[in-house]
Order: sequence, then structure tokens, then C-alpha cells
Amino acid sequence: MIKAVMVMNTQGKPRLTKFYEFLPVEKQQGIIRTVFGVLCSRAENVSNFMEADSIFGPDSRLVYKHYATLYFVFVFDSSENELAMLDLIQVFVETLDKCFRNVCELDIVFNYSKLHTILDEIIFGGQVLETSSAEVMKVVEEISRQESASNSIGLVTKTVSGWRNR
Amino acid sequence: MALSGMRGLSVFISDVRNCQNKEQERLRVDKELGNVRTRFKNEKGLSPYEKKKYVWKMLYIYMLGYDVDFGHMEAVSLISAPKYPEKQVGYIVTACLLNENHDFLRLAINTVRNDIIGRNETFQCLALTLVGNIGGREFAESLAADVQKLLISSSCRPLVRKKAALCLLRLYRKNPDVVNVDGWADRMAQLLDERDLGVLTSSMSLLVALVSNNHEAYWSCLPKCVKTLERLARNQDIPQEYTYYGIPSPWLQVKTMRALQYFPTVEDPNTRRSLFEVLQRILMGTDVVKNVNKNNASHAVLFEALALVMHLDAEKEMMSQCVALLGKFIAVREPNIRYLGLENMTRMLMVTDVQDIIKRHQAQIITSLKDPDISIRRRALDLLYGMCDVSNAKDIVEELLQYLSSADFAMREELSLKAAILAEKFAPDLSWYVDVILQLIDKAGDFVSDDIWFRVVQFVTNNEDLQSYAAAKAREYLTKPAIHETMVKVSAYILGEYGHLLARRPGYSPKELFTIIHEKHPTVSTSTIPILLSSYAKILMHTQPPEPELQNQIWTIFNKYESCIDVEIQQRSAEYFALSRKGASLMDILAEMPKFPERQSALIRKAEDAEVDTAEQSAIKLRAQQQMSTALVVTDQRPPNGMPAQPSIGPLSLVKVPSETVDSNPGDQGLTHPNGVVYKEDPQPPSQDIIGDLLGTLSIEGPPGAVAQSPQNATYEAEGAPSAADAAALVPVGEESGSVQPIGNINERFYALCLKDSGVLYEDPNIQIGIKAEWRAHQGRLVLFLGNKNTASLGSVQALILPPTHLKMELSLVPETIPPRAQVQCPLEVMNLRPSRDVAVLDFSYKFGPTMVNVKLRLPAVLNKFLQPITVSPEEFFPQWRSLSGPPLKLQEVVRGVRPLPLPEMANLFNTYRLTVCPGLDPNPNNLVASTTFYSETTRAMLCLVRIETDPADRTQLRMTVASGDPTLTFELKEFIKEQLVSIPTAPQRPQGPAAPPPPVAQITAPPPAASQDPGALLAGLL
Repeated sequence: MIKAVMVMNTQGKPRLTKFYEFLPVEKQQGIIRTVFGVLCSRAENVSNFMEADSIFGPDSRLVYKHYATLYFVFVFDSSENELAMLDLIQVFVETLDKCFRNVCELDIVFNYSKLHTILDEIIFGGQVLETSSAEVMKVVEEISRQESASNSIGLVTKTVSGWRNR
Repeated sequence: MALSGMRGLSVFISDVRNCQNKEQERLRVDKELGNVRTRFKNEKGLSPYEKKKYVWKMLYIYMLGYDVDFGHMEAVSLISAPKYPEKQVGYIVTACLLNENHDFLRLAINTVRNDIIGRNETFQCLALTLVGNIGGREFAESLAADVQKLLISSSCRPLVRKKAALCLLRLYRKNPDVVNVDGWADRMAQLLDERDLGVLTSSMSLLVALVSNNHEAYWSCLPKCVKTLERLARNQDIPQEYTYYGIPSPWLQVKTMRALQYFPTVEDPNTRRSLFEVLQRILMGTDVVKNVNKNNASHAVLFEALALVMHLDAEKEMMSQCVALLGKFIAVREPNIRYLGLENMTRMLMVTDVQDIIKRHQAQIITSLKDPDISIRRRALDLLYGMCDVSNAKDIVEELLQYLSSADFAMREELSLKAAILAEKFAPDLSWYVDVILQLIDKAGDFVSDDIWFRVVQFVTNNEDLQSYAAAKAREYLTKPAIHETMVKVSAYILGEYGHLLARRPGYSPKELFTIIHEKHPTVSTSTIPILLSSYAKILMHTQPPEPELQNQIWTIFNKYESCIDVEIQQRSAEYFALSRKGASLMDILAEMPKFPERQSALIRKAEDAEVDTAEQSAIKLRAQQQMSTALVVTDQRPPNGMPAQPSIGPLSLVKVPSETVDSNPGDQGLTHPNGVVYKEDPQPPSQDIIGDLLGTLSIEGPPGAVAQSPQNATYEAEGAPSAADAAALVPVGEESGSVQPIGNINERFYALCLKDSGVLYEDPNIQIGIKAEWRAHQGRLVLFLGNKNTASLGSVQALILPPTHLKMELSLVPETIPPRAQVQCPLEVMNLRPSRDVAVLDFSYKFGPTMVNVKLRLPAVLNKFLQPITVSPEEFFPQWRSLSGPPLKLQEVVRGVRPLPLPEMANLFNTYRLTVCPGLDPNPNNLVASTTFYSETTRAMLCLVRIETDPADRTQLRMTVASGDPTLTFELKEFIKEQLVSIPTAPQRPQGPAAPPPPVAQITAPPPAASQDPGALLAGLL
């Protein structure tokens, strides 16, 4: 099972975090800091694996991928295959890339709500839900159609002040 | 893509980003929280849109690490919003902010249920996602049934069904008692026929969860898994969007192979063959290519295939192929593959017979110890530690020592411990062991725990041949300029004790030794000074005739410390000063230490205690049992003080007492020890006190309270109060509890062995009996592996076979004692004379300490072992069937009270008992026809035919017809099958995955978190 997904930048700022086992917020932050501390000390061209037992407790594995200014980190237990998890990070990033056309950190900062939507289509309750980024795209497009449909209806009924507030 | 943009949110995010420091950020966030709080308070004015915006802000703030303790209600209330965008936010934010026990969730449960059973698919998806991400007990209770319906509903889109599958999986994992999965085997089998890869992937995950809990019920899914694998890996029959860099869904392949690893074995020969074909193709067809992603994907599949091959215990040829592949991997450029190559090689160590092939890669593994990546270095260390044995210990330990000086600080502690343990376990000779430990202290003194140097002192004390060697070494190190304090301790101790043995050599006169030791005196801390004082006292004692100059020097030191603030030092110096004025009696009092009683290494003992899984022995342990270094075993067994070794050696513990002079042997009371310690030669009471004090002061860490005890008590308690754990660890288990309890269920082990040919037959804290069997026609050869788990021998070992009349059994000689940690193999020849269902019994007994243990164990030489599967064609079957007409050659019986089984599962059951099911022979799909050959001396090879007619309306009854050319065989086979159908023996259930003992599945024991400075906990973390 996947225990957590974290996206953070190379300064250690969290950009997206999702824990599939509930953790209090201080614990989450502690984990993010520790993980970042180890990640930023790792050179380029080393493996994508990191010891996670001391951070997440026994039976934890961690894989990460470094893209430009962002680290994508998945934490999971021994019931998952490490390389398959690494592939899943790639699927996640490729999907983001398709959504935002050349995704960059800013896209992620300002659209973190969309990130949640996309992530929920790939990982579900700590399990791999969908592995085809084409399929994920289809669903996400459907969702945005729904949103804009109800928004356009909303525009008619909303007051002008409400609209300005956007 | 245009998910609704929210300007307010964007502005807030920009503001936070523009903050120069954490303090500004906090101010901005607090302001926003205040704003949101006020807005929520006057809720009436809030449009759903605004609510949505604020809830997103809350989630953002939460992600930044601020506790958001309000607004949960608003988030939950959005779930009931009629429009999609608000509802979606409600669901997502609720899933992130609340945990499963939050009260507000209860409020939402109705809405969630309505969304799940409603017709709107997007709402269904949202609701399922929430339930799957939070998945509490109440959700499971009220929603599991609805979720199950969605999963198997044919009208639902794949999008919904795949979520339903994972939702069910999550609910089941968290509350297996609430989610009812009885009878799901059929449904799972159907789900595995799914064409949509998304649904299939999710279903496979669900299957893994179900099978890991109870594989028995899901045998019918096994062939489907193999089919799926064939479909992907061989036929590549999958839609384009599910190939990932040219690999057909690596995730599904991996999951499928994971599922297969939860089945103990694949019995059906056809399925097994297909599976091995696919595996072979994966193993051979994977190359390292340029594209990183393609590489990762193809190797994800490959490593899973390796794990499955190991699990299936394939033939040696395939295993060596796997090792060869791994050997290739650990040398490639791609770091991920190097990492996993090393990790899997470590797992491979648990497979028998491949260690030698792994050893061929030793040089490469040692190179990996210098890899730029610390993750890889750690794996290499693990592997070297695991593969070490007597044959390569010297090389490996020396490599570890060399690496120690350049290793990262993060790894040094682990490295030193591992090097120390290996050196002790596999030392080819003891002087090498001493060298290693001294080097270890020299190079990484900060990381060498006291246990390590205590142990080396113990070895030196117990081995006379070693003493002068160690003394010379110690002197060598002491003359080096800056040495670690631990080195000062151990060297000073050894020189004080044994320096006099070398007195004739130049540079070893008492005066010179004293000077060398005393030079280090200004650099050491108070914990070392007592040891130095003892050494001085010993040197003084060995200086015969006394040298006044040296005497004065040492007395001056004693005098100086008589007023030391540290009470231990003060007492020692005062007592040594007084004693050394007594002249010749000093000789007796300060004589050489007696030998330490035999005891297990504290390091190894702790390492073993730390092993969580007692049932499954690690490869290291197993091999340590097989080939314990002879040098150490001999030393260990040498009785202390020439007295016979006592199984119970009293409450002494190495952990605390290198300089302990007491011997706990009660028979020694009042005797002069051969090597010179006198407890009560001096009849005068005051002097007795002094001796008592002496004993007290000698214990480095003993509390002062022990000091005032009389010598009689001191013999037992001079060490103060040893911890209960230490004492307990030394008492034989049998003595404590009175009886020895078996580990694991004997019945379950027996039934499992009826279906397999190797595994554990019996285990208790002292012994493990394993079985490996080969069957050929009416003959069989079983090997019993008797493994002594203790460090003491097991005596009076007796194994008697009580064979039933139809079996001729011959057990080779069983030795009367099994040496410590050794494994004895006893071949047992079996010959089947005639058909019978009777079972042979092994009457086994041994003695451990005073406890006699006797067990009677059924041996898995049962009827089905003499069957050979055979497939017959209709042309062969029908004439045979007709020719065997009626009783006694053909018997028919209606069997009632059968455990209801779906037909495919029953077919599987038959196949596992080596009765080959021949599909298509019987035109009625509710019937089963099976054939097999039975072998015995009287019947020779004899064809047996079985027909089962089931009633689809009532699965608890069936009609069975059995036919063969021998009346007894027909009867016995019929009864045998009946037994299996009526009460299907439950093979051992595996509570958690492939961790159960037989077969030895590769699994790395997950280390618990290192809790403290306690070396035991540290070891626990390392091993």
C-alpha cells in the first residue's frame, strides 16, 4: 500500500502532500522536513531509493524522482514493487505535463486543487487506481467539463458582486 | 484544461509565496485564517462558491503545516452541495483533513450513501474516493454491501467499478470482520476475466488482499492469474494506452505475480508449466536499454518475476539463472538496478543451494561498498553480512574494516557491529578475531559498544594460547600516539592481566609496561581510571622481586586518588594501596582472572532476540548452525576452571563484567581455584571484608552496595543486581517453564506437508525438525533435518518410527546428541507395500538440560504421495471404466455433508492430491472425472479412475465412483477422497503474506525503529 505522496520543491516547500494513513499535522511536517533533509543531500545520478524505516517506521520504502525544481516522493510498504512505484511517479508527472503543457513548479503551486483531482484518479486509498495517463486525462477532462458546465449556469444566477469576488 | 480558477485563492498563494521569511508567512496565514473564520461565522452570507474557495484555502494552509482546527463542518457540508464543483471540493478536502474517527463524518454518511447508490456516476466516483481514502468502521458497516454491488454490476462504467474494487479493498483491509467476503472466490474469478485493464488492475489488487488473508478459498483464481500474465507478457494482448514505454502494463504484471506469491505453490502441472514459460520469457527477454523509464518498467516486471521464481522454489537451473542475472545487474550503470540487484541477492540467500553461486560475485559486491550512493552501500553491506560464512569471513571482514575508515558516519556504527558479529561467528582462528576487534576499536572506537570489547577480553581470558599474543598486540597499540579511550581500556586490562607473560622480551618489563600505560593516563576519563588502577595493582603484584622505584610511583598514584571525588576510584585506590602493602598475600588476591563460564555472545544473543520471526530462520542463522566456526565452538565448550560445564551458569552477565572474578559454580564454595583466586584463605574477619570489598570494586559498573557483602554472598552477588533479563537469558528455557511448547500448529504443519514435499514438521524453542521428501513410484526418500537452535547440546536424542503395516520404513542412525546450533540430517527410506490410509508416526524425544521432551508426530507419507498424475484420453478411459464393472473393483457412494466447493475449486483440490482432472470426458458440466496411477509393491503401477457427480442445487452432497484393478485400493482411495471432501484439512493459514515458515519465502525482516542507545535496540534495528 502507498502510505504517502509528497511533492516538494528543492527548497523543501511542500507543494502537494497526501497521506493515506492519517497523521497529525505536526507529524506530517516533521516527516516532510526529514525527507527533504535527506533528499537534498543526495547527489545526481544515484539510485531513486532512500532508507525510510527511520522516518516512517518499519516496513517502509521510499522512492523519489527529481524533476527540475521539484521532488516527487512516494512512500509505500513492501507489498508494492519499488520500480513500479517509480513508474507511477512518471505517469503522474506525464499526466501533469499533458494537463499543463510543459508543467512547471508555478503550475503546480497555483493549481494544487487540480493536482488533488489528478492524483485521486491515479492513486485511490493508497492503491494504484489507473496507470494509463491517457485514461486519467479522459476523466480529468470530463471533470473540467462538468465544472465549467455548472459554472456557466452559476454565472447566470450569481449576483454581480459574487462574480467580482472571483 | 480549465478547472475553475479562483482568484482569491491565487492571490493568497501569491502572497504566501512573496513572504520573505517564516514569520511573515505565519502572519499572512493567521490573517487569512482569521478572515476565513469570520466568514464562516456569518455563514448565511456565503455562497457555495465562496465556501468552496475558503475550504481550498484551508487545505492549502494545512499543507503548509498549520493546524486548521475549524471549518471542518463547512468542508463536510459541501459534500451535500447539489452542484459538482462544490461537492467535489467537499469530498477532497474532507478526505485530507479528517481522520476516520471524526464525528463530523457520521453526519455525511447518509449523503455519501445516497451518492453511491445514486445514478450519477461522477458523484459515485467522488463518494467512493472519500470512502476509500478514509474508510472507517462505520463506513464499512453501512456501505460495504453497496460498494460490492457496484463492483459486480454490469451496468456500471469501468470508471466506477475500478474505484469500487479498491474501495472494497480498503474497507476490507481496515475492518476484515465487517466486510463479508464469503463466497467471493467465484466473483473474483469472474472479475479476473475482465477485459478493461483499469478494472482488472484494481481487481488484482483486491485479490492480493483477499488471498493474503486466506489463499485456500481462492485456488480457482490461480489459473486465471497465470492466464492474465500470459495475456500480458506473452501475447501482449492489450490496448495501446496501457502499454508503458512499450511494456504491457507493468503494474498489472507485477500485481499478478504478487498475487501468485500468496499461494503456497502451483500444483497443477499444466498451470505450472505455463507459468514457468512466462517467467522464463521475462527472465531472458529483459535487457538494459538507454531509456530510463523503459528500463525501470521492464525491470519492475523482472524483479517481481525473480521473487516469484524464488517463491516457487524452482529447479536449481532456473535459480542459478536468476543468480546469474542478479550478478549482471549489480554491475550495471543504472543505479536503481544495482540497488535492487543487491537487495534481491540478499533475499536469494535464503534459497538453498545458491550461496556458492552468489559467492562468485563477492568481488563485485565489495566494489558496491564504495558506490557513490549510500542506499546502494547499505544494500551491499547487508548482502555481505548475509553471505558471510567461515569460508569467506576473512575476506569480507577485512574489507569491512578497510571500508570503515572511509565510511559515512551514518554507517559506521552498523558497520562495526556487523564486523564484530561476523568476526566472532566465523573466525577461522582466534588470534585473527583479536586482531579484528582491536583494529575495529582503533578505527572506529566511537562506534564500538562496550559489549564488543568485553567479549574480546572474555575470549582472551578463556584461551591461554591467546594471552601472550593479545598482550603483545595491546602493547603495540598503546604505543601509538592518539588512540581511542576504548583502546586504552582494553589494552590496559590485557597488559595488566597478561603483560607478565612477556616479561622476558625487551620492552615488556613491569616498569616499561607501567610507563606505557601511564602515559595514556592524562588523556582518559573517569570511567577508565579504575581499569588503569587495577592494571597498576596487577603490575605491582607481578613485579617479583619488588622494584622500590616502581612501587613508589604506583603508590603515589594510589595515594593521589584516595581523595578522588569519584567513589569508585577512591575505593579502588584505597584498597589497592592497603593490599599492596600486605606483601606476598597480594599475589593470591590479585592473581589472574579465572576463566569466564561458557556463555553465548551478548552480541549474537541480542541479535537473535531481535529477530522478530522465530519461525522463519534467517539464512544467516541457518548457515551459522550448519557451519559454526570450529575455533569458537571449541572455546565455548571448554568447561570453566576444569569443572564440568553447568547448563545454568548463574546470574553473571558478560554485558557488565569483564573483570569479574566470581565463579558461580556452587560446588566451588570455599575451594581454591586452580588458577589462583582465593576467596577465603584468610580466616580473619577483617581481611574477609577486604576481600569482599575487593570483589566489589573490581566490578566496573557494580553499584557500591555490593561491596559490603560477605564472600559467600559475593560469590553470587558481587556483580550487584544483574538485570532480570540477563539472568533469564541464561536459564535454559525448559527449566523455566517446565514444559516445552511447540511453535506453530503441529496439525497444520502436517497437513501442509501432505500437499508439499518440503517444510517444517515440528518446531519448539530448542529444536526444529524439517522434512524434505522425494517420491518415486512406490518408494520415497525423506530427509529429516534436526536443527538444534540452542548454544547448548541436545542430549538423549531418540527418533523411533512407528510404521503402519503397509509401509516399510528405515531410518538411518540418529545421533544421540546434537551439537549446539548444528543441524543433523537423517535420511528415512519408505516403501509402500499396499494401499492403506494409515499414517506413520515419528516418536521423537530429546533432553535439554533437565527437561525431557517427547513428541509424537505424524509423518507425511500418506496415500496421495504414492500417486502419479496421469492424463487419459477418452479412448483409454471408457474401455477401462466399462471393464471395471461393479464392486469390489468399482465402488459407488453418495457422500453427504461435503464442504461446498465450486467445481473449479474442487478440480484444483483433486489436482493438488495428484488426481488429474480430465476435462471434457464427462459431457455433464456438473461432473468431474479424474485419473491417477497408484504405486505400491503389491499392486505395482495401477490406474485409478474417479468420477464425481455433483448436484448444482445442493453442493453439500455428491456421488462418487472410484474404480481400479485392486479392491483394497478402490476402497482406500474412495475413503481417502471422501475424507478430503468432507473435512478439507486446512493447510496453515498465513496471517500476513508469505511470512509463514514453509516454504522459505524471501522476506526481509523489517527492522523496528532504533529506540535508544541500547545496543540491543540498535541491533534490532540492524538485523
